[in-house]
Amino acid sequence: MMTGRRVIPLRWPAAVAVGVVGIVGLVAFTWPFFVTADVARDHGNDAPWLFAVLLGLLAVVCLAEVTAGRLDAKTIAVLGVAAAAGGGLRLLSAGTAGLEPMFFVVIVAGRVLGPGVGFVSGALAVTTGALLTGGVGPWLPFQMICAGGIGLGAGLLPVRAGSRVERWALAAYALVTGLVFGLFMNLWFWPFLGTGAPTGMGFVPGAPLQDNLAHYGLFYLATSLGWDLPRGVLNAVLVLVAGPALLRVFRRGARRAAFGVPVVFAPAPGRDAAPHREPAEPHDEPPVVPLHDAEHPR
Amino acid sequence: MARLELRPRLQHPAAWWLWGLGLATAASRTTNPVLLLLVVGVCVVVVAERHDPATVNPLPAFLVIGAVIVVFRIVMTALLGNGFVGQTVVVTLPSVPLPDWAASVRIGGTVTLESLLYAAYDALRLAAVLACLGAANALASPRRLLRYLPATLYDVGTAVVVGLTFAPQLLTDARDVRAARTLRGRDGRGVREMARLTVPVLETAFERSLGLAASMESRGYGRSVRSTTTSRRAATGLALAGLVGVLAGLYGLLDSSAGGVLGLPVLVLGALLAGSSLVVGASRDPRSGHRRDRWTWTATTTVLAGAVPAAVLVIASAGGWPGVVPSQQAQLPEVPLLAVLAVLVSATPAWFTPRPREVAP
Repeated sequence: MMTGRRVIPLRWPAAVAVGVVGIVGLVAFTWPFFVTADVARDHGNDAPWLFAVLLGLLAVVCLAEVTAGRLDAKTIAVLGVAAAAGGGLRLLSAGTAGLEPMFFVVIVAGRVLGPGVGFVSGALAVTTGALLTGGVGPWLPFQMICAGGIGLGAGLLPVRAGSRVERWALAAYALVTGLVFGLFMNLWFWPFLGTGAPTGMGFVPGAPLQDNLAHYGLFYLATSLGWDLPRGVLNAVLVLVAGPALLRVFRRGARRAAFGVPVVFAPAPGRDAAPHREPAEPHDEPPVVPLHDAEHPR
Repeated sequence: MARLELRPRLQHPAAWWLWGLGLATAASRTTNPVLLLLVVGVCVVVVAERHDPATVNPLPAFLVIGAVIVVFRIVMTALLGNGFVGQTVVVTLPSVPLPDWAASVRIGGTVTLESLLYAAYDALRLAAVLACLGAANALASPRRLLRYLPATLYDVGTAVVVGLTFAPQLLTDARDVRAARTLRGRDGRGVREMARLTVPVLETAFERSLGLAASMESRGYGRSVRSTTTSRRAATGLALAGLVGVLAGLYGLLDSSAGGVLGLPVLVLGALLAGSSLVVGASRDPRSGHRRDRWTWTATTTVLAGAVPAAVLVIASAGGWPGVVPSQQAQLPEVPLLAVLAVLVSATPAWFTPRPREVAP
């Protein structure tokens, strides 16, 4: 049942934009590993700020491309719910830094409503969380790109919707993304530490790739894994326990919103000639609840 | 002086954010603890004077995080050392032998004053930047900036506003559902209970959002943004060209063998093109606004007050003034007087800007 699969279709310009921003994001995170010593020494202090500004701009451009002129009121409302759920969970978990169950909502939204919505809702959930907690800073663009990518990936996972495998695949995905998110998010400030990092764990400009990778690996093990592993496990467990029910909630919501159902104006018999909605393929579509019913929930 | 007293109102949010970013730029250019503590002090004073009492003040949280970073870095340096080798030994900790594959790491051993000071100064710089951002967050809630999103992002901005409105309601719903479950004899703890909570809460949220969508549609939502196929195509073209430019510029910048001179201009050009796609894509119908923020002379002066320390310290760090990056010695570092004055200038908005409205008790 793929009613809401193409709520925000990713057309080729948007797909290219997301791809290029993904590449720039990857460069923004991994540049310390492949630049020469001169470049690293000259720009080591400015690069994180440069990339924060650049990624902020690119994330916004990317959002504009993905959503260009194609969001109707229902999509906005559903995105709002995803953003609110993500932001609210962020607000709840503000005391326990690292334990962020936010991704669990983003993953489910991306899974049900497609990669386009996954990307936008991931980016918006992070933004909403930051606005709610008053935590807007240079880390926000990096988080937006990462969370957007997580939602996008969840939409692209090659498992059949509603199958038994889906639950386990999503749980595994949640665990992996929880770890990878931390792995990448450290990288934006790690070169910053420079010689300030613990012995043998710092960024050495111009050192061979494997040296820096080894140093970073140790740094990750020593400082970050303790936060990332619980977060990944928590998200995976949440997906396992609540995933199927939540997927159903989102699918039902998407079906009731009846995305992509064309509005057809037809002369109706009798005096009630109000426009009504007709599903495009009656045998394939579920019974459509007219939108005005949603205002008076039963 | 009574004539200078301005009518109480909130200053334009962009002015406070530009001021905060200027001060953060200044802080990021120095590791002098005196200057950095001065920056933190300026943030505290300005926030104390001009923080909107109707909202929660996020600055203390930022200050606490900054303090934790400083302590954490000092403790980590004492335990694990850093790349800085000093002469003055403070204490020698028992060291732990490690296997071969982790030979580059050390745990324990000698702790030198220089490496501790280096860690403290560096962490203090990060804490000062955080304080500047916290001050900007406290002086002008970032959600007030949402109003100034370009028309192309109108939909996205609306979704964020919907999210911001729904999030507190979601929390209230969650509390209600939890209370109901407690009455039925569940203790409401653990992952399983949390998972049970999500279904009714999200069901309600969807119900509400579809109601909101229906009401938005019936009130003609979205008629304020004008966007034609041509303008959208132009925006897409600009965005893609800009993104390619950014990629090429980055490549040039990071790989110095491939024309490093061209890197930065191409990068800036690409960023400008991509940014202009936001302007070209759609336009907004002129409409009147409720309680629109006004840009007045105080806003301009606030931005300038933030720009002064940024300019002075950028020049100072580029020119290598003594004391901007102090040496790690057990003595009070040299303090450049001009930089101190520049940082003090940024505290003046605490007095000349309009006072926020008092909340009725």
